[in-house]
Amino acid sequence: MVVLLCAGVVGPLGCATAPQTEDPESLAAFERANDPLEPFNRAVFAVNIAADRFILKPVAYVYKEAVPVPVRDMVSNFLHNLRSPVILLNALLQGDVEHAGTTALRFSVNSTLGFAGIVDLAGEFGIVRRNEDFGQTLAVWGVGEGLYLMLPLLGPSNARDAVGRVADYFSDPLTYLRYEKFGYSRFGANIIDVRARNYDLLNDVERASVDFYAAVRSLYGQNRRDAIANGAEAELPPLPEIPGEEDDFEDEEGQERDRPPTR
Amino acid sequence: MRKVRSATARRLASRPSTGLIALAAWLVLASPAAAGDAETFIRETAHRVFAAYSDPITDEGREEVFRDVLSNTFELKTIARFTLGRYWRAASADQREEYLRLFEDFLVLAYANRFRDLRGVKLRMAGLRIINERDSLVQSEVGADGTRPPIRIGWRVRQTGKGLRIIDVIVDGISMSVTQRDQFAAAIRAAGGKVEGLLAMLREKTGTPE
Repeated sequence: MVVLLCAGVVGPLGCATAPQTEDPESLAAFERANDPLEPFNRAVFAVNIAADRFILKPVAYVYKEAVPVPVRDMVSNFLHNLRSPVILLNALLQGDVEHAGTTALRFSVNSTLGFAGIVDLAGEFGIVRRNEDFGQTLAVWGVGEGLYLMLPLLGPSNARDAVGRVADYFSDPLTYLRYEKFGYSRFGANIIDVRARNYDLLNDVERASVDFYAAVRSLYGQNRRDAIANGAEAELPPLPEIPGEEDDFEDEEGQERDRPPTR
Repeated sequence: MRKVRSATARRLASRPSTGLIALAAWLVLASPAAAGDAETFIRETAHRVFAAYSDPITDEGREEVFRDVLSNTFELKTIARFTLGRYWRAASADQREEYLRLFEDFLVLAYANRFRDLRGVKLRMAGLRIINERDSLVQSEVGADGTRPPIRIGWRVRQTGKGLRIIDVIVDGISMSVTQRDQFAAAIRAAGGKVEGLLAMLREKTGTPE
């Protein structure tokens, strides 16, 4: 499948090849990145960045500066409330009856007393939101993430989550509204809402990266694993094996050990 | 101190029964005490940072506070080594030294001004997990408004020869060390597997002359 994609779709850009080495660490890093389509993905990323710089970012900036926070919160709340049927469905598919109940309760309270969802009244009472989507459901069912993908305009994803997006689209009752302008408006509003909410964060990530593409790839993977585990993973994270200092310098610089750290 | 421990370990290995008992006793007695300390350590560190960041303060002021916290409460050498992965071994002594310096500057650049105003922000302790005899994970939460889930911050704390030191910060499941390791690995791979490639990028990023 990957080979086919590399040959047929990606064409001249080719695919990243596994390092020609027996070095297990190098191979581990390659597998961790899970990104055999890297050259292709980087090209899409460059296009996305350009589109962001010239269109999306300025729009998000104007929106952020012109519209006061409480109003933007209402927009966020409204858009989130529209996602409730999909969240409810996926909570059920994951066998999470409790979260399904929470979502149903949030949806009924916020859609009525919360003025069609613009006020997160349920949230005020401590019934806090949580996103679910079909990509997460597949993960709960044991489907692996598949290869990393950079989607045009939609941003980072992977094979599993891309399938999830399609499933979310078709399982959303609002997709079948007759009024088709609604779909486009909602799509556009979602993008601007997300971009504006992450405005400072994305600036920070870009400033703080030597390889923006690789940083985004790492953050996406970690963020999805956290979402799939519903945050439980933060209590039991897959903590990296950080070598202790004693095995650091024992062999060649044992004498350096008691020196204060270089600074 | 560590040399003593490994010598002890060797001695204990020759007398398994006493060794096991001693080890068990050490684990049972040492861990809870260290754990309580770890929480206090994080609470105090956070308190210091929050207090400094609550005053009107310039970007330079924040960088100074942040650098001070980095060098006194983080085990930077361990983190730096982890983020360089296998390339640490391939690097020369000069490269390692330069990398350690650049890594610290890079962290200051990356994180010092990410939180500009921490007035009224409270860090709530949310539990603790013992990872092994030296490491524990102090869990905390930050969240000002009630309708959104709070931001979860995990502090991985290690008992070192210099006392307790932070070796990783995990925000909503995103580990600082893992993120840096991943992007550094990509940068080095893009430079044909040369550590110098990463050093050049870090120099450029931090505005450090060669």
